[in-house]
This record gives sequence, C-alpha cells and structure tokens, in this order.
Amino acid sequence: MIECTINGETVRLDADPDMPLLWALRDLAGLTGTKFGCGIGLCGACTVHVGGRATRSCITPLKDVAGADITTIEGLDADGAHPLQQAWRDLQVPQCGYCQSGQIMQAAALLKDMPNPSDEDIDAVMTGNLCRCMTYPRIRGAIRDAAAAMKEASAHG
Amino acid sequence: MLKRTLATLVILAVVVIGAFAVYAWHGELAPMAASERPDFDAATVEQGRVLAAAGYCATCHTAQGGEPYAGNYPVVSDFGTIYASNITPDPDTGIGDWSPEAFRRAMHEGVDRQGRHLFPAFPYDHFTKLSNQDVDALYAYLMSEVEPVKQETRASTLPFPLNQRFLQAGWKLLFVDVGRYQPDPDKSDAWNRGAYLAEGISHCGACHTPRNALGAEKGGERYAGATIDRWVAPALTADNPSGVPWSAAAFTTYLKLGADRYHGVAAGPMGPVVHGGVAELSDDDLTALGVYLADVTGATDGEAPADNAALTASIAAGKPRRDWRREQGERLYASACAACHYNATPEGVTVTRPDLGINSATRLDDPANLIHVMLDGVPASEGSHGVVMPAFRSALNDDQIAAIAAYLRATRTDLPPWPDLPARVSELRAHVGTH
Amino acid sequence: MDEQRLSADDRTDTPRLSRRSFLVSMCAAGAVFGFPRAGLAAMNPAAADGQPLEAVGDRFEPTLWYWIDSQGRVNVNVIRAEMGQHVGTAIARILADELGARWQDVHIDHVDSDPKWGTMVTGGSWSVWQSWPVYRRAGAAGRTALAEKAAALWGVSADAVTVADGQVSAGDRSIGFGELVQKGLDRQFSQDELKALPLKSHDELTLLGRNLKALDIDTKTNGQAIYGIDAQVEGMVHAVPILPPTRYDCAITNIDDSAAKDIKGYQQTLELEDPSGTAPGWAMVIADNHWAALKASRQIKVSYNTGDATEVGEAEIQAENRRLVDDTGTGAIMDTGDNGDVDATFADAADTFQADYTTQTVLHFQLEPVNALVFRNDDGLWEVHTGNQWQSLCLPWLQKALGVKEDQVVMRTYMLGGGFGRRLNGDYAIPAALASKALGGKPVKMILTRADDSHFDSVRPPTLSRLRMAFDADNKVVGMDSAVASGWPTKVMIPGFMPKGTNGEPYDPFSSDGIDHWYGVGAQRARAISNELAEHTFRPGWLRSVSPGWINFAVESFMDEAARYIGADPVQFRLDHFKAEGRNAGQAPNSVGGARRQAAVLKRVAELSGHGRDDLPADSAVGIATTYGQSRSMPTWVGGAVHLSVDRESGRVEVHKIWLVVDCGTVVDPDGARAQVEGSALWGLSMALYEGTEFKNGRVVDSNLDSYGPLRMIDAPEIEIELVESTEVPVGLGEPGTTVVAPAIANGIQAAVGARLRHLPITPAAVREALQSGSA
Ligand code: FES
Ligand code: FES
Repeated sequence: MIECTINGETVRLDADPDMPLLWALRDLAGLTGTKFGCGIGLCGACTVHVGGRATRSCITPLKDVAGADITTIEGLDADGAHPLQQAWRDLQVPQCGYCQSGQIMQAAALLKDMPNPSDEDIDAVMTGNLCRCMTYPRIRGAIRDAAAAMKEASAHG
Repeated sequence: MLKRTLATLVILAVVVIGAFAVYAWHGELAPMAASERPDFDAATVEQGRVLAAAGYCATCHTAQGGEPYAGNYPVVSDFGTIYASNITPDPDTGIGDWSPEAFRRAMHEGVDRQGRHLFPAFPYDHFTKLSNQDVDALYAYLMSEVEPVKQETRASTLPFPLNQRFLQAGWKLLFVDVGRYQPDPDKSDAWNRGAYLAEGISHCGACHTPRNALGAEKGGERYAGATIDRWVAPALTADNPSGVPWSAAAFTTYLKLGADRYHGVAAGPMGPVVHGGVAELSDDDLTALGVYLADVTGATDGEAPADNAALTASIAAGKPRRDWRREQGERLYASACAACHYNATPEGVTVTRPDLGINSATRLDDPANLIHVMLDGVPASEGSHGVVMPAFRSALNDDQIAAIAAYLRATRTDLPPWPDLPARVSELRAHVGTH
Repeated sequence: MDEQRLSADDRTDTPRLSRRSFLVSMCAAGAVFGFPRAGLAAMNPAAADGQPLEAVGDRFEPTLWYWIDSQGRVNVNVIRAEMGQHVGTAIARILADELGARWQDVHIDHVDSDPKWGTMVTGGSWSVWQSWPVYRRAGAAGRTALAEKAAALWGVSADAVTVADGQVSAGDRSIGFGELVQKGLDRQFSQDELKALPLKSHDELTLLGRNLKALDIDTKTNGQAIYGIDAQVEGMVHAVPILPPTRYDCAITNIDDSAAKDIKGYQQTLELEDPSGTAPGWAMVIADNHWAALKASRQIKVSYNTGDATEVGEAEIQAENRRLVDDTGTGAIMDTGDNGDVDATFADAADTFQADYTTQTVLHFQLEPVNALVFRNDDGLWEVHTGNQWQSLCLPWLQKALGVKEDQVVMRTYMLGGGFGRRLNGDYAIPAALASKALGGKPVKMILTRADDSHFDSVRPPTLSRLRMAFDADNKVVGMDSAVASGWPTKVMIPGFMPKGTNGEPYDPFSSDGIDHWYGVGAQRARAISNELAEHTFRPGWLRSVSPGWINFAVESFMDEAARYIGADPVQFRLDHFKAEGRNAGQAPNSVGGARRQAAVLKRVAELSGHGRDDLPADSAVGIATTYGQSRSMPTWVGGAVHLSVDRESGRVEVHKIWLVVDCGTVVDPDGARAQVEGSALWGLSMALYEGTEFKNGRVVDSNLDSYGPLRMIDAPEIEIELVESTEVPVGLGEPGTTVVAPAIANGIQAAVGARLRHLPITPAAVREALQSGSA
C-alpha cells in the first residue's frame, strides 16, 4: 500500500511498487489528463509535479513517491485558470493537444524557478517536451505572456 | 640456526596465543529478567530516540520490508554477508534480557551479553566514544519504544576461519581504540560536540574512510573517501571533489535537509543517513557537525557562488546550443535532464535545481554515484525531501547512460574522462541497490 | 486526378471503397443505426466529460448536419476527426456564418460512424475544402426555414426577413432562433432544393476570416480532452501486444508465459487469429491494468517462424527503387496532357540534365501511441472506441477481421493525439478487436508501447525520384521525363482508390502527386512505380503531405539545379516556366488561375525573404522553393524561403528563418491557418534535417526518442507567414507548408556553400561529405 497526496487528496494505492506513477494516475486514480507518449522520459507528455517539481511520471516508480505530494494538470488550478492555462487559450496554443498537459506542467515549474525566463531559458527547459504538432512558437509566446501576467498580478497583489 | 629460529618462533607463538586467549575471552553477563527492567524517564527516552536516529541504527538493523530493529539486514562485504542482529526488546531473539551493563559493553567493546565478539560491521569502534549517559539513553529508547519482535538472526556466510568470532578479538586488538571521546581543549565547544557526534554515534568515518585488507578503517587516511555498496562516499578532506567548496553552513543544511544548494542531494547510502538519521538532531548539534566537518574538510567560508570558477564554467557550458544534436550525450541530456538541471545563473541554482558540474557525482574519479542516480533515480524519501528524480533504468541503455555521463564530465568539468563507461554502467545496472 | 480515370478495380480481396463513392457520399443518406447509448455515440470536445449537448425542448433539424433547440443553441455534427486542426470549429463556423447564428450559441459534436454520415475520412487537407459547399448549403437551409417561419408569423414576405447573429428580424420586429423553434419548425429540404438555395456573397459572411476561439481548446489546456487512449468502459481488461519480428510472414510457434505467471494482475496471453491479414503473428497479453500487461509482456517468450522480410533493409529497398526506375517498362504513366513525344524530344535534345533524389524512411511518431478499445455491446454490436482518421476505410477491415456484416461494427471517434496520416490506416483497431473476439466480446483496451507503435507504423517508405530535362540548342527547356518509385499505401489498403495511367496501369495518387507539376516544360512524361519489396516488408503509409513531401523535394531541388546548369537565375527560371497555359491554366472551381497563382506566391516570397541578396555573411544564403500543396485537383499555392548557414567544418546546417507565402483561397480561420502552416513548416524542417530511420532486418532501427529525433523547441526558428487574400474556394492547409521547406533548404545549402544534397534527411555527415567530395 503506497500512500501519497494527489491534487490535495490523500490516496492509498494498492499496487505494484514498480508501477510507474503515470499508470497509477491514469488507471488507478482515473486522472487521464496526464499522457503517455514515449515511456522513456524523453517526450514530457507525462509530466506532473512531485513536491512542486516537474517530474516525468512514466519513469517514476510508485514506490519512489510514497509520502510525496503530487499535482497533475487536473490539479494545477482548481478552475483551470493558471496564468499559463489562460495564456495557452489566448494564444490558441494546442493543436492536437496531446502534449499540452505536460507542456503546461513543465512551464509552470519553469516559471516557479525563473519568473522572468529568457528565450534561451525557455528553450533549455522546454526542449525535453516534444510537441509533434510543432506548436513551439506559440508555446514560447504563451510562456512569455504568462510570465508577464504573473509579474503584473504580483505587482498589483 | 634455522632450527633455533623456528623453535623461538614456536615458543613465541604459544605465548602470544595464550595471551590472546586471555585477552579475547569475555564472560557472559547475567540475563536480566523482565521484572528487573528499569523505568526510564521520558527525556532520556527522547534523547535515545534522537541518538538512535543520528546513528541510523534502524537502517542497518531493519531488513527490507521487515519490522524495525528486528535485524537480518544483510551487510555485504568482500568476505561474505553478515546479518544485522535483532535489537528489539524481545528476550529470546533480541536484547530483551540485556542489562544496561550488557548493552554498554556491546556498544563500547563490541561484545554481546553472552560474551561473544561482535563482527565489526557493527561500528563499535565509533560507539566506544559515546558517553555512558548517551548509551543508556539509547538503551532506554530501544527497550521502551521499540516493539519486541521474535526473529532469529541469520548466520553469516563468512567462510572459516573468518566466522570464528573469537578471532574478532584480534581485529579489535589491532584496530580499535577502546575508550570514550576526549575533548580537544584547543577547539571550540561546537567543534568538540561535532567531533563527538561525527566520530561517535554518527560514525561518519565508517563510510568515508577507506578500509584496509582486514576491513578496518585506515588510520592514516581518515575521511579520504571510500566505496560502500558500490557507491562512493566522497573524501571529506581537502580532496573533496565538490566544485564549490563545502562550508560549515553547507554541511549543516545538507545534513538537515538532505540537500544543499551547491552540493547536490543525499542519495544512495547517504539518503537514510540524513532522512532516517541525523536530520533528527537539534539545530545546535547539526551546526556543531557542520563546524567539525568543515574543519576536517579544510573548508573556508565565504566565496560567492558567482565567483566560483567551476560553477560559472558549468553554467556557461549548459547554455542551449543550436547544434545540441551532434553528440549523443548532449542530445539525450538536453531532452532528458536539462528541464530540471539547466540553470541560467549561479544564483539560480537551488536545492531542487542542482547544477551537475559542481556536484561531486560528476567530479569523482569513479562515476558510480552519477550512474546509480541516473539508473534508479532518487525517491521522495531521500535527497531533497518530497522531490523525486525519475529512474532511467528502463528508459536508456548502457551506452546512452554512459554517453550522458561522458558528456557531463567533458563539458561541465575539466577532469579527465572516465574510462570504460558503458561497462561500468552495465556492471552497476546488474546490482540493484541494497542501501 | 480526374474522375473519369477512376477505377473501381477490386482485384485483391481488400475491402471495397472506391474514390468515386468517397467523393459522392458526403451528401448521401443511409440506414440509421448507432450506439444504443447516446452518450457514447458522439463527443463534444468542449465538454469535460465529452458528453454531447442535449437539446432543450423542441429541436429543429433542417439537415442531418445540425439542429437548433428551443434555447436557440446550434449543435453542429462534425464527421471529421479532430487532430489539431480545430476542424469542428472551422466547419461549424462555415455553417453558422451561412445560417446567421450567434457564435456563442454554436456547439459541435464529433459523431460516430453511422452510415448516414456518408464517407468519413480526415486527411489530404480535404476537410474544409469538402465541407465548404455542404455546410454552407445546410446553413442556407436553416436560414431559409427560419425566415419563412418568421414571415408566416408576421404576415410579411420572406424576402423582407433578415437572419443575423441569432436573430430573425423584419422591420422593428425581431425573434430569436429558440423562440421560432418553440413555435414548431419542421421544414425539410430535398437534395435538389438544397442545391438551389442561394448562398451569401463573400462580403455577407461575417464569421469568415475572423479570429474565433476554437471550441476544442479549453479542454486541451486542463486535461479534460478525451483521446482514444483515455477511452474506458466498465469491466475492460488491458492488453499489450507482443509483435512479431516483421510485419508479415511471421507465425507464432510457441508462447511461454511461465515467467509472467506470478505478476499481479496478469491474466493470459492470446495468440491472435487474423482473417484480415492485418496483424499476423501477434500475441496479446491480457491483464487487469496496463502496467501488469506491460510488465508481463517483457517476461513472455514468443517464438516464431519468420519469412524473407527479415533479410530486407533500407539498402535493398532503395536498390529495388533504382532497378524499377532504370527499367522504363515498369509503372503507370500519368496523364500530363498531350504534349509531344518525350523519347524523341530527348533523342533530339542539344543537352540534357538528370538527377536522382532519395528520401529515407520516416516515422509518423504521432505523440499518442496507437490504441483501441473494442467490445461487443448488449445489442450485439461491435463498438470500436479509438481515434481514427478514416472510419470508412477501417470498418470494412474490421468486419473482415471479426467475420461480421457491415452493420455489425460501429466506431466512435475520440480526439486524436496526432494524426499526420497515421490514423488514416486503422490497422491498430484490428488486433484489439480480435482480442475482444477471442474473449467473447469482453471489452479489451489495447495500448501499444512507443517502440511497438514505431515498429507497427505505416511509415513513409524509402523513395527515389529521377528527373531528366531536355534542352534545345538555345538552352530552352523542351522536355521533362520523371519517374518516382516507392511503396504504395493506397495499393495495399484501398486499391479501388487508384486511377489508371494512360498505359492502363493503376497508380497511387498519394505516391505520385507532385510529379505532375505546373511548370510548362514541353514534352512531359511522369511515371509512377510501386515497390513491391517494400510493400511485402512493411505496410507503407500516408504521412503528412504524402508524396508531395518527397517528390516536391526532388522537383524543386531539380528546378534549382537545372537553372544553375544552364546558368539561369533559379527564381526567374521557375517564373519563366509558370506559363499558365493549357492544363496549367487551372480549372474552376479548385485551381482557378493555375500556374499564375503559383508564380505569384513565388515572387512574393522571393521579395519578402530578400532572395538573392548579397549582404549575407559567408556560408549563408536564402534558399527558395515553391509547391502547390497536395494535388493538382486542389492546389494550395506555396512559396517558401529559408535563411540558413552552413558550418563547413561540422557540416551542420542552421536554419535562421522560414518565410511562407500561402494562397489557399478563402481563409476561413486566419489564426488556425497560421497554426497549421507553422506546424507543417516545422514538420518540413524536421524531415529535412532531423528525421529519418532505416529498415534493418525488416523493421525500423529507431523506435523511440532515444535515437529518433524529431524537431524540438530549441530547433524551431522564426517563421513569417503571409496568407494571400482571396475569395476562391478554400483548399487545404494541414500539409502544404510541409512540402516546400526541404527543397528550400537544399537549394539554400547550394547557394551558401556550393554543395548539392539529394537525400533526406540532410545530415551533417552528408554535408561534410558533399563538401569534401567536391560536389561543391
Ligand atoms: S511518456 Fe514520459 S516522458 Fe514521454
Ligand atoms: S499539440 Fe499535438 S503534440 Fe503538441
């Protein structure tokens, strides 16, 4: 039995300790917003937050997240209104959308560490997230917009 | 001539063996009935709990998936496997019938209640430095807070004659300096407190000091770094490989949180040392440990990270390059590692965004630590608490892991390349960590 | 491809579906059946649970393409698969515009494969082009009905009534759609009536060309969009296949699952029997959850009898391409107009120029690995839940595999985690169906691992294009002879779709589009040849932009080379041959203007990019190319330019900027159009420089991202796009941007450093080699 917190709720999962977090989220917790792309940590579609850090869930065994605090795209913001999600909608970033949960979770972690990222920073951090529809120009733009919006909000908040 | 010499030697040998037998022999101490068990006050028990943590007693006395302190954790050595004993207060299989004196003798002299010598996998060479009062506190904790578990300790797989316990006495004679810690009057109180903890209960040298052919810490090479469970415990001397020198404060933070901004995380065998252990110590004690370790390491405080050449060079080398694809290691690093390890500036480095150019894993002569972490990641319970590094074991093959390691070594440090990396990865992959 | 040359050829036992039926069935009505549970029959991409909107009160359904309810909500039925093009929004917009609906009232539903919808396919950049007339007429029908009703109500003439923004008005009277519906509306239109309805003029369309928020975006930012991989039903088991060493000719001799028996959740391993021949030699591991199946699959040992395909590699396939092209007796001769004797022209030519161009195997690598959930429902119908681009092609195959009749299988289409042509071929649904069949109709959810997705992929096969040009004594172009060889997806999957060449041989238009270009070159021959060695080794596929993706690389590289050969300016040389005469003058409605429009985009992109400027640093240049998108029947005119530099020492090509000028007729959705062009241009760049694998022992060498390296963010250069303003018929946008980038790069490299690269992808090693071998 592995206990952890997912999107603020404590859950106990009776599962193979080697089961990747990705499949525990999708098949056991019913959270399908986190996607499977490559299974080897090289596409980023499965990115969630563990302890607030962007983590590739497809190669993170369940046993390693015992006691950890996990956030998925469904829990990033209760209303789906994280500044990144808003910027994503404003710029109409998603095409097929399949990579975008991972992109947004990775970008959220990026902005936490680097609230004011340069294009170089964005490239370096986001290159691990493949978008097969190649929405890269818009992802870059949306991250910059969200960063600006967050700065604005904190200046007025 | 030859005959005479031989005769002399024989006589000498007989005398020595006789003397040794006298030395080696210890009597059994009387078992203690349950009714004789002393009462412990809460403060002493709590003190014992902290000390048990700081000595990570549970780590070695608990088998994987087993009951705490019930023993049978395998300690693998070049000589064979020794199983840790049951130290729950079970009277038959544990230490339930040990008197405080028996427990003290075990801690200080490495002899159990029955009078048998303990294998030095049990670091009584360090515990001998503990004050009686601390040993009693430990005893109080184990006897009152730990659930008794009936579980026989498995026999060691040591071959004859190494499995002869009385021979341990010889080892002891040669290598152990029995006696309590003696403060150094020239040093500060904090230093002395740190030394007492590091040399005693926390037995840092047990992992960080290399051992001789008989498995004893080499006296002349204190803290020179050693290998443990196929991991490297880095040198805690001037040879420490960190790109940014340790400071007292850095040691304190690292031991408290399992990570320090410029020194990476406590993974592998070091994981439980922090998280199952020293993190429980009071802030004062952790500060004292920092003071002492900084002195051992010869660290000086004060260099600003932006001025550290290794760090600035590493960060410059980590900038994204448009021809990132040209080399396998760089390509894989950019897509698998950079999301978490890229840093824009020296100031941007955090405990959860470690820079790999200054990390000892990248800078040690042996790539084992780096390879281990890439293969098996770092669970939330270790390293920076609650944070996970994923495990690439099933994702990348030996050549690919080796390529990333080689790339980091070549671009983030000015150290010579590691030889035979793919073979090393393959070798370490075959051993799923036992820590 | 003209319709009179279509063949209903059905030589093989491949399920029937002709191109003609495909083209006419958009408007056909058929028997109605579907999922018994409405909730599963369709999907609203804007809703968190995908549940379709339910009409409130009365509902008026002027045609099968939509209904309006008593609240005035307009629900549009979309038969196209959503795979990133926001197709539902584009189609709903066309309808809503003609109808006069208020955009906030518009909703969409992606429907199941009920035959009433006619042929269901999403590919070839056809969606908007094909939907345009259909949905406009449907909108006009609703508008007419609403206006007539209001007119009757108010006692005025229908001509006096206007319909706009969800309101029907005359003078100062006005009423909402919903209220009118409540008053009872049941007007129906015959096909003839529909055709006779007047449509709005361009300037009356108010939604067209406006930037509207796509209806499928929100759920793609909060994890609520439901893809095939997310499909689930009560009681399903999970399946992970074990694939044979090669696609065909392997038979299982033994399955040893003893090592998997202890894995918690492992149930059993099935050996699939496949009457359709789609997935021969497959074993299917069944377990309680995906992980258990995956873990077990790694422990199970399967032995096979293998066939000849294990001997085939990339080199053998290319050698076969070469042999076929050398043999002038092979292949189909495409109709390029009646313009002279090619052999005589070449025999008499003062000079000729020839070059071969090749491309390596390319994977689709759509990010969502293929998957399907199949079961037999309580009514005995087989339900297939998956993301698919060509339901009408997949269903006959499924019927064959399951051994059931046409009305026994129905497919529910989910959001696609990328299509790019991979999901035109629904082969992946078959093993899931077979596993369910073996388990008595129990729901089986199968997900392929990424590596298996690659090994089972219908790849873009290795290709060869040979182009020859004949010149007279004045260096005037007098003839062109081209041959293209590759594995043909259409032949394998839907041979009825192949037209016949002038020599009576059928050919795959999707493996030859591009070679019948719009340049006036005198006597012209275009020969298309199928490589059976490739077809027997694997199943070739349609991959984004299909043959124009590789043939245009050849044609546009060749035009550049030919110009240089005779000392002409490459841009001017092209313009000189866009004569827009004869068949190249274009045809209403789709290719109005013909080569003239292609010349226009070329000129514009040359201007924008500063092609030919001489102030660039050493070893850098602007390369240029022009294509017409997918096919002569629906050209999207594209001019492309690339600013690049070459590092002579490493051979690395860095692309600094891409310019694209696109004339796709009417732009329905400007922002969406840009998104499609951005994405397709980067695909083009990815295939030009980074993507390519190889067959070895009958399977691809690179199966995951550890060695297969599509373009990532760090590689994405600046892109400038200009959409030509036009009121012509809107054509496709999903692919054309792809086709122009690779030749522009090859041409740019020659301009920068003098090396000519004739193979894709262009690797640094190849550039170095070309520089050293003095092709420079
Ligand atoms: S699925 Fe986890 S990184 Fe690709
Ligand atoms: S939007 Fe399709 S993969 Fe990124």
